[in-house]
Amino acid sequence: MIAALHLPRQFRLDLPLRQDASGRFLPWIIALMVYLAAMGGIGLIWLGDTLSQWDASLASALTLQIPADASQPRIEMALGALKQTQGVVSARLLEPEETAKLLQPWLGNSAAIANLPVPHLVDVRVDPRVAIDYPTLRKQLDTIIPNAQLDNNRSWLADVRGFALRIEGVITAGVMVVTALIVTIIIFTARIGLAIHRSVIELLHLLGAQDAYIARQFQVHALSLGLRGGVIGGAAAALTVVVLGPAGHMLQLPVPIATYGIFDWRMWLLLILTGIAAGGVAMVTARITVLRQLARMP
Amino acid sequence: MVRLENVGKRYGTDAEILHDVSLKLDTGGFYFLTGVSGAGKTTLLKMIYLAEPPSTGLVTLFDTDAASADRATYTALRRRIGIVFQDFRLVDHLSVRDNVALPLRIAGAPEREIRENVPELLGWMGLEGKLDFRPATLSGGEQQRVAIARAIVRRPDLLIADEPTGNVDDEIAMLLVRVFERINKLGTTVLIATHDIAFARQFSHRRYHLDRGILSIANDGVIADVVPVADDGTIVEDEQAVE
Repeated sequence: MIAALHLPRQFRLDLPLRQDASGRFLPWIIALMVYLAAMGGIGLIWLGDTLSQWDASLASALTLQIPADASQPRIEMALGALKQTQGVVSARLLEPEETAKLLQPWLGNSAAIANLPVPHLVDVRVDPRVAIDYPTLRKQLDTIIPNAQLDNNRSWLADVRGFALRIEGVITAGVMVVTALIVTIIIFTARIGLAIHRSVIELLHLLGAQDAYIARQFQVHALSLGLRGGVIGGAAAALTVVVLGPAGHMLQLPVPIATYGIFDWRMWLLLILTGIAAGGVAMVTARITVLRQLARMP
Repeated sequence: MVRLENVGKRYGTDAEILHDVSLKLDTGGFYFLTGVSGAGKTTLLKMIYLAEPPSTGLVTLFDTDAASADRATYTALRRRIGIVFQDFRLVDHLSVRDNVALPLRIAGAPEREIRENVPELLGWMGLEGKLDFRPATLSGGEQQRVAIARAIVRRPDLLIADEPTGNVDDEIAMLLVRVFERINKLGTTVLIATHDIAFARQFSHRRYHLDRGILSIANDGVIADVVPVADDGTIVEDEQAVE
């Protein structure tokens, strides 16, 4: 009791808000919201990194697809033409085993692959800083091997980028919905608190309390609940990432989630910011709601 | 200090609780407000401590017209008033010490001042051993003393007590009035509402009497039937003239 007397004034509650039922359920609801928002944020980081990696690897890689019936001398000529092109760093004809491995997801391990007219593939590495004259190169290759296809992956990457942007939009919208839900819950909780403690609030007014004095009690309480929810939700999100890391590896995702585990500072920053944001949103919402309601009281 | 001029109060379409009430409390005065239960005493007090606006008439507190005062002015005016509520209105989850400290904290007094003054006042009220008790664990008389301590801790200019002697025996009631008289001697204007007319008559203080919403002045056991208001509606300054 005496210890309570020495609490900093900003944290002292004249209203028994800590005894309210809201103190028991609200942190868990906020925790769920924070968890969803944090997972969305981690998803955005992962998506961004994946796109960057793909972008970087595809920007320096081309694929030349040569019809199966092309002769070896023609293939050598095409390789020579590629190597002489400005900006091309290397051009390597894939071995039949390597090509078969690439087709494995679609055709399996069947020995029949050897009997199929599988095109020859050339892995071309380019310097991304050099602009290659693709129309001229394509024309040159076409004269050497008719129907050879040079694919710089740009159109495919553009589709992937568009899809990723839509996913980012969905995640961002989800985070906004979560924020709106926290705001709504806090508004209702603050209003219920005002109704429950109306007699004490009236007493405080009669003792000369300003609206800001009473609102401060609600905002301190809301901040405390929001931060508690933030810590629980953030911890759950961190645990999910740690557990999902190995799982993602097992699923052979293109970019391993494990890299976003406990050693990624961005994840920790995101979790800390999400928790603080939950407390901040709760605090500001409670303050505005209470001040607006108190202004209507005598 | 306090002036009510032709004040009336009615809730919705119900009958009028207060009718054309005019009253004046001078700085440093000691007043009783008597009347049977339901006469309108608490309603009248609520208008003085700014918990209720009048339906008609004018309430002036510390030379400020309450009707035209903004929210900040209301707060400033309320800080100059100490109130002992009929039901004490102590905050259950706070200790005796924190209940009494409430007006000081609201006013932004330094914690050091609170730590020094509150125990001293509670000691003066005979509650030195109850500082960390919750109100619910105290007797009715002790709760009342806590309520009084809370009302006077900020040394208000005006102290209003609603039926402070209602639930105590005559001896304690007499002691309480002596406490209020000591506070009054420090310069605080005191207004005590009680239904016990005989009790109030034992003192020589100015007494207002409410009967079915109509206020009159009484002194020396005689209830005047004249409200101290001149024909033009203003309060007659020399109230003795109308008694």
